Amino acid sequence: MHRIWGDAVIIRFETVTKRYPNGHVALEDVSLTIPRGEFVFVVGPSGAGKSSLIRLLYHEEVPTSGEVYVDQFRLGRLRRRQVPRLRRLLGVVFQDVRLLPDRNVYQNVAFAMQVVEASPRDIKKRVPQVLDLVGLHDRSHHFPHQLSGGEQQRVGLARALVNNPHYLLADEPTGNLDPETAEGIVKLLAEINRRGATVVMATHARDIVNRMNRRVLAMEGGRLVRDEARGRYGLDTPERPAWLSTVSHEA
Amino acid sequence: MRHTGWMSVASVLTVSVALFVLAVFGVLSINLEHAATALDRQVELQAYFKPTMKSSAEQAFLARLKREPGVRRVVFVSKTEALSQLKKEFPHDTTLWQLISQGNPLLDGFQVYTNRAGEIPPLARMLRKNPDVGQVVYQATVVSRLTVVTRILRDGGYVVEGLLAFATLFIIANTIRLGVFARRREIAVMKLVGATDWFIRWPFLLEGIYLGLMGAVLASVAVIVGYHWVFQTAAHVVAFFPLAGVTVVERSTVETTGAGGMAVGLLGSLWALRRFLKV
Repeated sequence: MHRIWGDAVIIRFETVTKRYPNGHVALEDVSLTIPRGEFVFVVGPSGAGKSSLIRLLYHEEVPTSGEVYVDQFRLGRLRRRQVPRLRRLLGVVFQDVRLLPDRNVYQNVAFAMQVVEASPRDIKKRVPQVLDLVGLHDRSHHFPHQLSGGEQQRVGLARALVNNPHYLLADEPTGNLDPETAEGIVKLLAEINRRGATVVMATHARDIVNRMNRRVLAMEGGRLVRDEARGRYGLDTPERPAWLSTVSHEA
Repeated sequence: MRHTGWMSVASVLTVSVALFVLAVFGVLSINLEHAATALDRQVELQAYFKPTMKSSAEQAFLARLKREPGVRRVVFVSKTEALSQLKKEFPHDTTLWQLISQGNPLLDGFQVYTNRAGEIPPLARMLRKNPDVGQVVYQATVVSRLTVVTRILRDGGYVVEGLLAFATLFIIANTIRLGVFARRREIAVMKLVGATDWFIRWPFLLEGIYLGLMGAVLASVAVIVGYHWVFQTAAHVVAFFPLAGVTVVERSTVETTGAGGMAVGLLGSLWALRRFLKV
């Protein structure tokens, strides 16, 4: 097992509850630790709290009670000025990718460096490297609408990686992709993890989870119900996708 | 800008209208002040000696008066001069001057010019108490009325300007808000990858200032061209109409509209960004 205290612990949830203003409780009393360099799947049905967990990590939301730690940051009492510093440690990818439609692949990736005021020289050097890594070097001048879903998600990944984040947070990154393309994305995430980034991926893709044989955090109704170092998607109901087994609370 | 082209044009025009009005008030008030100063220097007090005064005593009196503080100039007007002036002023009123030339009923008198209008009333009081002086006449009302007009114009200007400033702030803020909305995707990505608040804000602040300054340029050009025209026309109509100089007006217009445009652009965009760029 991973250590609970000490330097190796880089993400930590301490009895975190997240209640939204409409009263919906997205997370309830969640405690967990994710040490440096780990690859973690967060699984569970829709509305289980996977997305909320990710959103707390990049300070899109703050916990209602309890505390979330990322490196030296205490996210519950993070000052506004500190938010950019936290986010520069993180790369985030979403199911809907969120590329800028009026910029081509190269510009979309370079944009992430420009806005953190990287030097033009570094940008020129770094962007092709990252596009190479995600296998889109020859697509530099294509616009998002000219790309397939898988290619778009690779651009999203390149954008998340270009500033060398310590953590990669992925919220359903393969949700819109066919299994083969999804497989490619996850392989890429594994490669990124191999190069040293901690990866936290919320997903529904049971096949991928089962094949990867990595740590699995299973959520249900806002609670962490299972935490296994070498886990499978759902041990209890292997024949049925877990997301069909409960009524969903949110879209 | 390209997302919000028409809105930008609208805000530049609104700013320029507001600044145009501001500059016109400025020009008016410069001119009123100019006129007031010109009139101020022309203020005079007129007084008449008692008929019993001897000519030498009158001259001695005037010599003393010249040394009084605030007195700029003293002009003696004998009753003969007064009579010929009267004839000049009313050359057709023959009965009048036949009547008075039989025995000149006018009095020796003098005009006193002071440096400032405010020095007239105390001087008048002093002269009225003097037993040698028969009558004291002065026209304080023109000056004081001019002062009142200037003040009304200024206060009215503040009210009008206040309303216009509000309208201008509103439209600039809305333009910037549209810009923020048009770029919401970029802004979301910027925040996500860790751009600082000010990195995101400053282009919008610059855009606001730019809109304000564009309005200022338009307003300045309009006012300066207009004033040149007024100045030249006035010169043709009346030889020495007391208008303030073109350079003074130009400078003040550029300064007022420039500062106003910048302020309104900056405040407008700050207002717009206040709520819209929370992380």
